[in-house]
Parts: sequence; structure tokens; C-alpha cells
Amino acid sequence: MVVGIISYNDADTVGDVVRRVSAGIAAHAPQGCLVLADGGSTDGTVKRAESAAADVCPLVTVDYSRPALDPLAAPYHGWYGRAAAILSVLRAASARTAAACAVIDARLTSVSPEWMPSLLEPVLSEEFDYVAPYYERHPYEGAITKSVIAPMFRALYGVRLRQPAGGEFGCSSRLLQHLLDQTYWAAKDADSGIDIWMASAAAVGGFRVCEAALGGRTHVVKEDPPDVSTALGQVVGGMFADVEARAETWQRIRGSQTLPVFGRSRGEMTRQPVVDVEPMLDRFRLGFDALRDVWAWIVAPRTLLQLKALAEAPAPQFRFGNELWTQVVYDFALAYRARSMPHDHLLGALTPLYLGWLASFVEETCGTGDVEDRLARLGEVFEMKKPYLIAGWRWPERFRV
Amino acid sequence: MWVQLQRIMSEAANRIVKSVAEFVPGILALVAVLAASVILGVIARQVTMRALAGVEFDRRAQQWGLGKLGDWSSAKSASSFVGRTVQWVVLIVGILVALTALDAAIPSRFALSVFEYMPHVLSALIVLAVGSAAAQFFARAVLIGAVNMQIHSARILSFSVKWLVLIVATSMAVEQLQIGRQILTLAFGILFGGVVLTASLAVGLGAKDAVGRAIERQYDRAPQERDHLDHV
Repeated sequence: MVVGIISYNDADTVGDVVRRVSAGIAAHAPQGCLVLADGGSTDGTVKRAESAAADVCPLVTVDYSRPALDPLAAPYHGWYGRAAAILSVLRAASARTAAACAVIDARLTSVSPEWMPSLLEPVLSEEFDYVAPYYERHPYEGAITKSVIAPMFRALYGVRLRQPAGGEFGCSSRLLQHLLDQTYWAAKDADSGIDIWMASAAAVGGFRVCEAALGGRTHVVKEDPPDVSTALGQVVGGMFADVEARAETWQRIRGSQTLPVFGRSRGEMTRQPVVDVEPMLDRFRLGFDALRDVWAWIVAPRTLLQLKALAEAPAPQFRFGNELWTQVVYDFALAYRARSMPHDHLLGALTPLYLGWLASFVEETCGTGDVEDRLARLGEVFEMKKPYLIAGWRWPERFRV
Repeated sequence: MWVQLQRIMSEAANRIVKSVAEFVPGILALVAVLAASVILGVIARQVTMRALAGVEFDRRAQQWGLGKLGDWSSAKSASSFVGRTVQWVVLIVGILVALTALDAAIPSRFALSVFEYMPHVLSALIVLAVGSAAAQFFARAVLIGAVNMQIHSARILSFSVKWLVLIVATSMAVEQLQIGRQILTLAFGILFGGVVLTASLAVGLGAKDAVGRAIERQYDRAPQERDHLDHV
């Protein structure tokens, strides 16, 4: 069994992470091995990791090369060089013929020894192949995942993964070999799409998937996070690219299955952000005012009429219905596939719509405790409208102006 | 004397007949080439329009910012416009070839000079097409970027960028056509410089308070706008 920790200049946090992970390995799988995948840190990360692991758990260090940073590129919402780091961990696990492998981020401050059994026991004891994390988060955090990624995963890939783009994961040797056999690692946008790609590879590849409740997730933030538009473009772009690559498979999948959850909820809500709906509504209305001609190229005329009515609605009556949102997301996915316009333009035009959905979601669920039900209904509608996406995918000319 | 007159008349008649005999084939060739170019033009138009329909040119032209091609003429669509243009090009080439067939000195020189000029026309058309597509691309990029930066005058910004690129493209196309080179370059420089100077004066003098307030609003609003949600 191998637990990989991926790092780059994380001397501040890597010691704690290695200590806690080592404690978890020593308690639950004494024969386990720790692999530190480091991208050439210059701040003594490797030395700190080695001294933290000393006498507790064997530590092997492997290198990975971070891709050259493009000064003109938008800031990345996640871990730059993450794909290369995960690949080096998986290779190290494969070389050691590990029965199970887990990957942890060295910047985490919330990792605990209990994460090890949560991520690895389902593989070792229950023969699951992919263990996705399930973090406890504020109801309005991770809204891109909740509104687009998770419902599309459910409808298209047939698994109800709540956080398909989560950071940590566990996998079996069978899945590990399958992932290593793929060519995705060298893809241009592998860093932003790697988590979604691994989860979808497991979901559609005939592998057994489950979730592990890990409690809250906190990590050290080293750079300013990108704005919502950039993050949305990277995450949704990764999802759409995956949908395009797996078009042959998902069109044959019907229905969806709930997944078993290992571990237990700890009731740790790590953040309590202040949510202000008004600026989101302003951005939606500004978007409609300025971008309706662009949206007209992407969404169906009836959808555009509904968006017009929404833009004119006063705040108390502002409700972005599940059907409308599903239609919007599917139309954007079809436009992504049809190359109706450059992908960054297309994904940029989605931002005001997403903020409109989020504002409506907050208004509807604030104080009602109805968040999970609302998201479940959204997932149902995504499933129900899947035939529309399939039809648009197969006969795009019927859906064009 | 009668014999001499008869000989002169006969020689004159022979010369006329010979001239007509030399001219008629040219006329026949002209008529044949013209008829062929008319038929070829119609065929070329039909083939072009079918080929363009096959690659969904009208839809793509809209995306590339060439959707208004049809509005510039009586054509119903961009593909119809291109089809008609191809037909007219074939017809004009046919007329020039037909003039050359007459073997007259002036029409031949004219035809040759038109043929020599054609590359300039083609390069000007390419510059215009690329410029129009670039204008559409940059205008949309600026529009989407400005909306996501919550700039309320996003449409004006986008409109300005579009026309700036179109004006530059038009100037380059006219340069390719070698029409009034210096005058046009000078006029463009004066116009562009004038626009920049006017804008600078308007902002610096006329609207400095309004600009100041707008910048203040932007600075005041910035910390509030960044929500603290982790969206991913």
C-alpha cells in the first residue's frame, strides 16, 4: 500500500502532513509506504518530510517536473503541475506493486490519521477501485461542482458522486494500471481536468466507485485564487472536454446509482463565508444586457426568452429553475462540442448565468435546510433531460440557428 | 481606263472582304468566349453556393463576423453574395479574354493591366475578410471580459474595439489596392491621432470629474465585489 504526498515548496505544512499520514499508516497498515512526489522544492520541503517520517514510516522521494509557467496564462484555480505529480505517485505505487494507493496534498492543514483507513480500507477490504473524497462544506461553497459537475456526472456517467473534482482520492492497483495506460497525462489542460478525468475514468471504465467522508478540508493558500470566471472556465472546461472525449460511452448509460459512503461525518464546517446575493444578481442582469447576442448563439431561442424574463424579474421573484439551468448547461456543452465560438469565449459567457443560478439557489435555500434535496432534484432533472443532450450531440444541425 | 477602274474597285473590294474575313473570326471568338463565360459563371455560382452550403458557410460567416455580407448587396445571404461575386469574376475575366481575342491593341493592353492588378484586389479582399473576423473575435473577447469584470460600459468598449480593428483593416486593404496611398495613410494618421487626442482632451478636461468618480467607485467597490466563496 502506498500513500503519495504531492508537494512543491510546502516546507511550512509538509511536516505535519507527513506526521499525520505516517501515524495513519502505522496504525492501520504497518506495511505501507509513503511516497513524496516533489516538484523541485527549494525551501527544504524534502528534508522536512524526511525528518517528520523518520522512524515512523518508510519515505521514498520521487521527482516530477512542473510544466513551464506561462506568464500570459490565467492563474490556475488548483495545483499547478498536479497531473505530473499524481502520475509520479502512481508510477511509484505501480513499481512497488501496491494493492492500494492514496494521494494527499502537502498543503492540507486538516488531514488526520483517520483519513488513511477512510481512503484505503474500501479498496483493501471491500474491493472498491476508486474512493472519492466527500468533504463537509458550507452549503454555498463548491457551487460550480454542485451546479454543473456533480449533476453532469450523475446524468452522463451514471454515478452520484457529490464531489468528483475533490482533491484527495484512493484507488486500487487495477484502476492504477488502467490510469497509467492512458495518454491523458500529456494533455494540454491535464492539470485543471485531472481530478474529473480520473473520477470519470473509474465511473465509465467498469470500476467500483465509492465515497469517503473525510470531514472538513482546509489548506494553505499561497496565491490569490483566480476570479470566479477563470475558475468556472477551468473546471467546466475540464468537464466539457471529458464529456467530449467519452461521448461514445456516456450515450449508452441509462440511470444513475447512489454510492456507498465510508467513514463518518464529523460535523466540521471549515468555513462560514458571507454570501451576498445582490452583486450576483447585478452580474446576471449586466450579463443579459451585454451578452444576450452572444448567448443567442449558444442557447435555444426559448431559453433566451426565459432568461429575458428572469433578468426583468425583481429580486424576490428571481428563481432560476432546474429545467432552465439544465437547458443552459446542456446548450453550452453542445456549443463547446460544435465549436460555436472559441472555448474561452464560450466559458466566459457562462459566468453571469452561473452567478444567476447561485443567487437563486441561495435565495431558495437560505434558512430552509433544503440544500441536499434541492441538489438531488437538480440531478434528477439533468438525468431527465439527458435525451436532449444526446439528440443535440448526434444531430447538431437540428439544434443550430 | 475602265479596266483600271475595275481593277481598283476589285482590289478595294478584296481588301474589304479580306479585312472582314480577318475580323469576323475575332468577333465570333468574342461572342463564343462571352457566351462560355456567362455559362461558366452560372455554373461556378451554383457550384460555389452548393459547396458553401455543404460546409454551413452562412452559419460560420455569422460567427466570423461576415454575416453582414448579404446586407451589402441584394444577395439574401453570405453564401449567395460569394456565389454572385464568383459569377461576376468569371464574367469579367471572360470579357477581358474576349477583348484580347479581338486582337486590338488598346483592349489587349487594358486586359493585361487588369490581370496584373487582380493580385492586389485579391489580397485586399483577404485583408478585409481577416480583419472582419479579427474585429468580431476581439469585440467578443472584450465584451465577455468586460462583463466579467463588471464594467457597465462593456458594449461601448466592445463596439470601439470592433471599429478600431475594422478601420485598420480597411486602411490596409486600401493600401493593397494602391489607391491614393499617401493621402489615405495621411488621412488615417490624422483621423486616428485626432480620435486619440479628442478622447484624451475629453477625459482629461471635460470629463475628469466623472472619470475620477468612476475610478473611485471602482476602487471602493473592488473589496466588496470579491465574494469569499470557494466556488470550485
